[in-house]
Parts: sequence; C-alpha cells; structure tokens
Amino acid sequence: MTPRSRRLLERELPKLVAWLLLAFLFVPVLVVIPVALTDRDYLSLPNNGISFDHFAALANWRAGWMPSILTSLGIAMASAVIATAVSAAFAIGAWVYVGRWPSILRVILLSPLIVPPIIYAVGMVRLWSKLGLLDTWLGVTIVHVILAMPLAVLAIGASLSNLDPRLVQAARSLGARPATIFGRVILPNIIPGTVAGAILAFIVSWDEITVTLFITSRGIVTLPRKIWTSIADAVDPALAAIATVMLAATIVGLILRMTVWDHIAQRRSRHDFQ
Amino acid sequence: MTSFQRWAFCLTVPAALLTLCLYVLPILQVLALSFTEPTFGLGNYVALFQNAAIGRVVRTTVFVSAVTTVLTIVMSYAVAFALVHMPPATRRVALFMVMVPFWISVLVRAFAWITILRRNGVLNSALVGSGAVSQPLELVYNQFGVVVGMVHYMMPFAIMLLYANLSEIDLRIIQAARSLGARPVTIFFRVWLPLSMPGLAIAGLFIVIFSLGFLVTPAILGAGRVLMVAEYISVQISSTLRWGVATALSTMLLLVVGILIALAMRSPALRAAFEGGRK
Repeated sequence: MTPRSRRLLERELPKLVAWLLLAFLFVPVLVVIPVALTDRDYLSLPNNGISFDHFAALANWRAGWMPSILTSLGIAMASAVIATAVSAAFAIGAWVYVGRWPSILRVILLSPLIVPPIIYAVGMVRLWSKLGLLDTWLGVTIVHVILAMPLAVLAIGASLSNLDPRLVQAARSLGARPATIFGRVILPNIIPGTVAGAILAFIVSWDEITVTLFITSRGIVTLPRKIWTSIADAVDPALAAIATVMLAATIVGLILRMTVWDHIAQRRSRHDFQ
Repeated sequence: MTSFQRWAFCLTVPAALLTLCLYVLPILQVLALSFTEPTFGLGNYVALFQNAAIGRVVRTTVFVSAVTTVLTIVMSYAVAFALVHMPPATRRVALFMVMVPFWISVLVRAFAWITILRRNGVLNSALVGSGAVSQPLELVYNQFGVVVGMVHYMMPFAIMLLYANLSEIDLRIIQAARSLGARPVTIFFRVWLPLSMPGLAIAGLFIVIFSLGFLVTPAILGAGRVLMVAEYISVQISSTLRWGVATALSTMLLLVVGILIALAMRSPALRAAFEGGRK
C-alpha cells in the first residue's frame, strides 16, 4: 500500500463509517412518511399514487386519535406545571440551604432517571388499586409529575449553578425579606432554566408509556397508549400518519431550538464583545 | 437556623413528600411483597431459581443486553469520534441526525422498525424485488429485530455521552503525539482510546442498566417470542396475577441495577453530576 492510499484509508474510511451509522440512526424513522401516504388500507408503500386518507382518519373523532391527543395534552400540561413548580421550589431551597438533607433528597429525586420504570410500575399498580386511583386522571398525572421531576430539577439546577450567590447576600444585607429574595431576586434570574425544565417535563409526560400502560385501562387513553395498542394490531396506516405528525413536530421543534439557541448565543457574544 | 434558611428548607418539603410517599414507598412495597406474597418467606426467590421459564427469560435478557451494549458502544464511539473531528457546519448536520431519533417517541421508532423489517416490509420487498434473496428474511419478532431496535434506541444517548467526553480531551496531547511522529492508528489506540475509557465505562453501564429493564422495544419487536425480564414481569402483573414472582423478579432487577450504579458512582464526574450543589 502506498503511503498516499494508506492516508486516504486512515482518513476517509472512518468518516464514511460514521456517516453510514448516522444514516442508520436517521433514515429508518423517515420510513413512516411514505407509509402514511399509502393508497391502500394496510401498512405498505404507496402503490398507485399517494393518498392523504390516513391523515384524515386522525381527525375522525370516533377513530380515537383526537381524544387520545387531547388526553395526553391535558395530562402533560398539568404534569409540567406541577412538576416545574415543585422542582423549582426544591432546586432553589437546596441551592440556599446547603447541607446533607438536600443532597440526599436530590439523589432520591433523580433516581427515576435510572431505576427501570417497570419496577415503579409494579409498585404503582399496587398503590393505586388500593387508593382507587387506577385509570383516573389524577392517578396518571401524579405518576407523570414524579417521572418529570428529575429533568426539571436538572434544568433548573443548571440555571441556579450559574447564579452568583452574592446577589442574594446583597439583597439580604439591604434588608429584603426571604419571600422577596426568593420571588424577586432568585426566581427572575432562573427563568430560562425553569422554562427549559417545564418543556422537558411536558415531553416526559407526553411520551411516557411504561407506567401508564399499567395504571390505565379503558378510561384514560393517552396517545402513547393508543399507539401501543395499535401496534399490537399492526394493520392500520393511520398509525404511520400519527407517527409522521409526531416526527414533523420533533423536527420543527429541534430546528427551532437550534436556530433560537444560536440566535441567543450570537446576541450574547456580541454583547460581551461590546 | 435563620428564618432565611427555614424558608429554604420549607421549599424542599413538597418535592420530598411527593418522592418519598409516591416513589420510594411504592418501590419499598414491591420489595416487601416479594417476601410476603402469597406466604411469608423466601419462597418466591427459591421459585425464581428453580423455574426453567424464568431462567430462560433471564438468559435472554442478559444475552440481548450484552450484545446491545457492545454494538451500541462500538458504533456510538465511531460516530462520537467523527463528530469531534468535523468542521462546525458539518457537525450541526450530524448532530441533527442524532437528535431527531433521540427526541422522537420510542413507540414511533419501534413502529418504524416493524414497517422496515417485517415479512412484507420495506427491506424484504427491496431484497426480494432486486433478486438478492429468493425468500423474505425473518428480520423481526426474533432476537435480531430486538437487538436492532435496542441499538437504535440506545445509540443517540451513548453518542451524546461519548461526544461530551471526547470533546473534553485536550487536542494539544494529540498534536504532541503527532509531532513526535506517531501514526494515526497509533495515536488512536495509544492516546484517544485510553483517554476515553471513563466515558466508555459510564456509557456502557448506562446502556446495560437501560437494556436490562427495557419493556417497550423488546416487547414490540419481540412480540412475545423474545421474552425479556420487563415483559415477563408485566405479564405476571396483568395476566397471570402472580404478584410474588413479579415482585421478586423486580427486586432482583433493582438489586442488579443498584450494584451497577454503585460501580458507576465511583466515577467522580458522575457523582458530581448526581449530587450537584454549588459550583
């Protein structure tokens, strides 16, 4: 092998492999788009031209997709509001009250990130059946709040760790009361992290399936639950249509985040420069 | 305690009550039930080790998790390594291709793989149509399909962990190695790889932990033919109502995960991330 061809092999082959792997990640999820446009009434690629019938089926109330979307939206919004409020309170409290108690509690709070949800699901079926909360709005919302809290705490905590504690000292030395300090000094400074936390909490609830599967049956059908049952039947192309809608929403969200993020970063760096 | 600190303490109370009463307590009850249901004692655990079906489920879980972890780590490392070396504009495109599958619902991803891999799916149609194979291949509802789905699920996560780790490596070390005459292959194996060991270990542990307790993807892509621990527990709870077996298996799973986390926590970086506190 000539040195030149070896250099080419060492440089270009890893690049090629990396792009093939990236394609393995990205391309398969796109397959739901053509399947959603199929002109047949079973899962297949379009045969004689494309059809939007399966998207129309999503809007049909009796097909059950709209009710499940609204159910998921409602639960996700409620969970996000509650989880963000509780997590912000905890994060601020732990930031001010440095000690053993908040750091132990933080480990417990973050544990749902690692402990397999199946174990929690088993526990909650038992508890909710005793309390009569199986298959109720309240039961699902509480579980989603618990599962959303870790990401909210992480996001708000990251915002707090950039906050200068001297701000609080200054406010205290000027005689501000605790409520004023929490509400008017700390909170306004962590708004970006809190918004990020709320969005993450919303997404966790919107996507949650494992525990929901166990604590709901016919009364509360979230969108993931509806998708889960439809996959088991595995015939309806409406499934590909809803998957396409979710894919489109994800891509729009990501592009927004990437551009807005850059915009803010650019403004900040310009600001620093001046 | 000053009044200010009392205020701060009170702010942590709602989160504490919620997690302790509605997270820790139900899980502790799972542990308790494994010793009391249906009768008091270690009966469930004895059954766990004597039951051939459970033994098969555990072996399947360990095998699939091990294969998933190794494949995910090798493939993710290749991507993360390439990401570090890309010019910023290209890297944005590549990161986008990682983030889309990361954020999209696990159910959508499993469904996409079904449409690709099933008997008259996209891949088989293409293979048969082009004459590459005469009969459709069995690509899903077996271990192959489950592993493909799981690797696809875990990769974005592993790539981000590894990319964070690799981008912290001081490039001057690499330059130094190059200026001393080391060839790219030598630099990779003697400099990059040893320096990325902490990241590789953490990513590997997380993937093992996720895989062992994973329900959704194995259940959909295995369709009952590749039974892993989480799905087995789920069947015991919802169909056969064998709470003793389900809770004992859950306890064992929790124990294994606990041991793995204890190992992972020996890494200072991870401990800092988890315990947090002021910078």
